[in-house]
Amino acid sequence: MFKMTPQILRNLISGPATRAYPRQIRPPFPATRGRLVNDIAQCNFCGACAVKCPSVCIEVDRHLSRWSFAPHICVCCGVCVEICPRHCLRQEPATGPPAAQKEMVALDAKS
Amino acid sequence: MRTSVIPFGPQHPVLPEPLQLKLTVEDEVITEAVPALGYVHRGLEALAQNRDFHQMVQVTERVCGICSVLHAICYCQGLEDIMGITVPPRARYLRVIWGELLRLHSHLLWMGLFADSFGFESLFMQLWKIRERVLDIQEATTGNRVISGTIRVGGVSRDMDARQVHWIADQLTWVAHQVRQIEPVLREDFTIRRRTEGKGVLTSAQARELGAVGPVLRASGIAQDIRQTGYAAYGELDFEPVTATAGDCHARCMVRLGEIDQSIDLIHQALDRLPGGDIRSEVRGRPQGETLMRVEQPRGEVVYYIRADGGKTLSRVRIRTPTFANIPVLVKLLPGIFLSDVPVVVLSIDPCVSCLER
Amino acid sequence: MNHALIILGIGLVAGPLLGGLAGGLDRIVTARLQARTGPPVWQPYYDVIKLMAKELVVVNGWQAFCVYSYLFASMLALILFVMQSDLLLILFTQALGAVFLAMGALASTSPYSQVGAHRELLQILTYEPLLFLVGVGIFLETGSFKISVVMQWKDPLILKLPLLFAALGYVMIIKLRKSPFDLAASHHAHQELVRGVFTDFSGPLLGMIEIGHWYDTVLILGICSLFWATGPVPMAALAAAAYATIILIDNAAARLNWRWMLGHVWAMGLALALVNLICRHQG
Ligand code: SF4
Ligand code: SF4
Repeated sequence: MFKMTPQILRNLISGPATRAYPRQIRPPFPATRGRLVNDIAQCNFCGACAVKCPSVCIEVDRHLSRWSFAPHICVCCGVCVEICPRHCLRQEPATGPPAAQKEMVALDAKS
Repeated sequence: MRTSVIPFGPQHPVLPEPLQLKLTVEDEVITEAVPALGYVHRGLEALAQNRDFHQMVQVTERVCGICSVLHAICYCQGLEDIMGITVPPRARYLRVIWGELLRLHSHLLWMGLFADSFGFESLFMQLWKIRERVLDIQEATTGNRVISGTIRVGGVSRDMDARQVHWIADQLTWVAHQVRQIEPVLREDFTIRRRTEGKGVLTSAQARELGAVGPVLRASGIAQDIRQTGYAAYGELDFEPVTATAGDCHARCMVRLGEIDQSIDLIHQALDRLPGGDIRSEVRGRPQGETLMRVEQPRGEVVYYIRADGGKTLSRVRIRTPTFANIPVLVKLLPGIFLSDVPVVVLSIDPCVSCLER
Repeated sequence: MNHALIILGIGLVAGPLLGGLAGGLDRIVTARLQARTGPPVWQPYYDVIKLMAKELVVVNGWQAFCVYSYLFASMLALILFVMQSDLLLILFTQALGAVFLAMGALASTSPYSQVGAHRELLQILTYEPLLFLVGVGIFLETGSFKISVVMQWKDPLILKLPLLFAALGYVMIIKLRKSPFDLAASHHAHQELVRGVFTDFSGPLLGMIEIGHWYDTVLILGICSLFWATGPVPMAALAAAAYATIILIDNAAARLNWRWMLGHVWAMGLALALVNLICRHQG
């Protein structure tokens, strides 16, 4: 009982270790793998990312030149970023905001 | 004598795991405990048949969030064994670093839950405060807080630079300092010892007979740790398995406390000796053959049986997780104890039901 | 007549006002001791308002009856205290309330409630003798069970009855449901009994139990403050100090089991109380 007392008194003096979250946000680490974004101008619709993705959340339609992606199914593993031959995929250091509905992203080549 | 059946779980606040124990209670003394499992079976082993063997790495990581890196390491080592790939030394050391960080946070998490099981909320908060720093290290180096996703067949996918190595060492010094402050509480506090000493005693003969693994086994005085087989870079690092002899809940806590120090020491060693060079070797062809791979997780020994028939997908992945091996121990320990000691004894084996049911 | 009504009003309002405030402060101090920020000080009121707004679901009529009786007994005990009435009467009224709460839990068939109520009764069994001895000690010192007489007393009782005050500490820990004796119902439901006695109460009934607990808190702190009844300031200071100490102990101890509680509290508490009383009476 007396072993814990200095600990908790130290906590009382040094103040909370928690953050007031929505008001105070810790800047993300640069290495964090968050939401996937595609620089569609560089993409050649090879479909490699769609084949390798372990959660099958990317779909590439070569004929329509369309790259579509389901952010709420993505597990942020980064495999697609590693294998993309055009290096057009990148992961932002933060995940997207929470949403009430699953969202779909569809990007078309600007022709 | 009043006999009643108390359902402990699958939704029980003290046990945040979907495990049900049907406890037959006579005047607050347990006479029988029957576990009921199967609430979170996800069929991850069956996924091996429609995900290729690279994609399976991400699947195995998700067998259990807390042991993610070690599941992936075990699976990758199995495939590397089948395909005859040599992993570059730097990758082996990085695997050790991430694996030990994982053990560190898992043990801190467990200790917090253990404190919560006997109603010591401030200790729970204190331990999770320390754990948060370990998670920060994981996020800054691997890119994710819990499921790190950096292990690949043939190596790892991320490297660390010298600045990060220093930063990790600094942060770990802080963690070690905090753990040292909290250690006397866990070791000597009167109320904690009152609640844990002599509770759920497992003798070494029983431990052997029931096939206990991990800290449960070591707390009964058997110095067996799969890391001694020297997989990844463990063969080149100095460590001794932490053991205790009492075999009760307090001894299990002490073993895990010792392993926290051991993990910090192992990470420091690995950071000091981190060799240069590649982090990933090339994987060519398709796997053919079978293997059995064992890795020491925070909860004990995990066994992967992998069988490949030369296709893109594997024919069989079988996972024997440590909690599966420790459930017989739990069923043995429960009868005869008081109802108020049930959470303490259940948590002392560190049950991870998501692992157990895959 | 008018005077009595005012006192009645004070008694009725003091419970929720001071009790809720004490609960809010407790949560903030506890959070700070655990290196957290904690909720706003009004959180207990928000909780109760929310509970009151929920649908009323009762297991059976007995349960509701027991909750009303508990709330009524707790209110009555505090009003009697504010009216400076007989200490023994107050103690028996609050004991009645506590037993009603346990009976309410026994009215449902859930094993959690049953075991919780069983433990609650054991807790009552543990602290009632001590509380009674506290009353006796005050009687032996001041010559009366009347609180009005105690309030007139010039010397602080704590100087004469320090060991009895320590015994009262045990009572307060049990009564306020704090570690190491939060056996029947821990504050945050993380125990083997889920929420023990409270498991089967919900919505407005649970809200009423919360309010009853506020009255209980104020009453027990009031009894504690009698030990320095030389004026409102020392009374408040003593109660605050005792409350702070209990919060500290709550955060520095694990929950123990009832076997230990019964043995230890009886042995230690009764020894402390009796030694104190015998010493005073000899000397
Ligand atoms: S791998 Fe890269 S280039 Fe190929 S489709 Fe995907 S994003 Fe486009
Ligand atoms: S990060 Fe992983 S899960 Fe997400 S799209 Fe890329 S490969 Fe698929």
